[in-house]
Amino acid sequence: MNPKIPEVLMELSGLVAFNAQPDVDPADRASALGLTAMLLAVAAQEFDRAAARHVEENRAVRALLARGAAVVADAALAERLRSLAATADEDLRVSALQAANSALRAGLIELHAAVEAVDGAEAKALESEIWSELVVSTERRVLAGAPV
Amino acid sequence: MTLPLEQKLAAYIAGRLDGAHDVAVDSLSRISGGASRQTYRFRLSWTDGQGAARERRLILRRDPPASLIDTERRIEFEAYRAFRGTAVPVPEMLWLEEESDALDYPFFVAEEISGFQAGPGLLFAEPYVGTLAELGRRKWTILGEIAKADPAAVGLTEVMAPVEPEACWKRELDHWEKILDDDEAAPLPVTRAAIRWLRANPPRPAQKISVVHGDYRTGNFLYDTAGGIHGVLDWEMAHLGDPLEDLGWSLNPVWTFGQGKAGGLLPRAEAIAVWETASGLRADPADLHWWELFNCVKGQAIWISAGRAWIDGGNREPIMVYPAWALENAQDRATLTVMGRL
Repeated sequence: MNPKIPEVLMELSGLVAFNAQPDVDPADRASALGLTAMLLAVAAQEFDRAAARHVEENRAVRALLARGAAVVADAALAERLRSLAATADEDLRVSALQAANSALRAGLIELHAAVEAVDGAEAKALESEIWSELVVSTERRVLAGAPV
Repeated sequence: MTLPLEQKLAAYIAGRLDGAHDVAVDSLSRISGGASRQTYRFRLSWTDGQGAARERRLILRRDPPASLIDTERRIEFEAYRAFRGTAVPVPEMLWLEEESDALDYPFFVAEEISGFQAGPGLLFAEPYVGTLAELGRRKWTILGEIAKADPAAVGLTEVMAPVEPEACWKRELDHWEKILDDDEAAPLPVTRAAIRWLRANPPRPAQKISVVHGDYRTGNFLYDTAGGIHGVLDWEMAHLGDPLEDLGWSLNPVWTFGQGKAGGLLPRAEAIAVWETASGLRADPADLHWWELFNCVKGQAIWISAGRAWIDGGNREPIMVYPAWALENAQDRATLTVMGRL
């Protein structure tokens, strides 16, 4: 989730402290605190699940990249995919998991584009699995009260 | 010494009201939201040339330090002016200031259309919930009127960049993809897959070049308790282009507000039929599908660019975080839905 949650929470902390002053315009205070409340509710949903979601997703994407390395014709791309697939989540801080997730999903985009351009049953099967992972990864991030 | 905003605003307006004296601004208050402009309402009072006391409720729209979307304020101002007095209800525009001397940032002043609501959150309860179908018909009728308008006749070809019918889709897609390239804080595999599909399956040339509002959705017009609309707002992304672009944006699933209807108001087919009747144009299903998916990409670019403005420190207001946090996933779900993957 970006902007990163700890940075937003620090900013909101300052905003709440500012709005605790008695001479803040009531309309400005209402606007600031209303939005702060909505953001805190989002952060609360993400707090408990973030690490588990990243670990689960990173594992799934590494498996796709490992398979993709054997399917794509571009040798340099195949090497990048193999290298990404060989990484591991050793640092379990959310910031580290999120950085790993970004690197893996960047690789997934490259792989997805590559397999779309390849004919053959294996490529089509992998493409289908990539779409399945994109659906699952989207569902992992759903927030309560989302409009869709 | 720094003068309060009210005094600066009064001084600015005093120089533009012929024969007026005792010009004063009071009751200035910020309106919530406004991720691309800071919006305030205020009361202007003055004594006119005949000595009569006058007052008027007005709106100030001022550029923030860094905005959700970087737009040309003159185009927004002229778009409002172009539709004044037409079948498209808009507030009267009064003054446009493109320099930063008067109020620290560029701004414009417009009349306040008071007594109505804009927020979608109120719609799904009394006294509005029984009027949603009527409001929906009015909404897509007005959008049809915008599509039907001749951009040259309303004077907007003089301020908006021209575009050929066959170039509309590519210009818009290039524009929003570049914003994604510049502003994304993390890879967006669903959005990137959508972009590849859009480039591989372009729509037919626009059936006409229309004024495209650019952000026509539930939440950007003033409504009453009888299903009437009294002002179409937020023209900051207005441009010339394919009229299906606006229709596609109005059908973006993120604007269903969990109601399962277009804009939270009407069944999708009815919304399209109302638009076709009002515009005199046809919404070809394949072309409209392209523009709906395009608008999922556009939406994602807008949400993540708000986050980028916050990350870079240009605008640390919480309204800049909310779209990135709350709508990125919703937009991905919308994209998957439009692509038939969810």
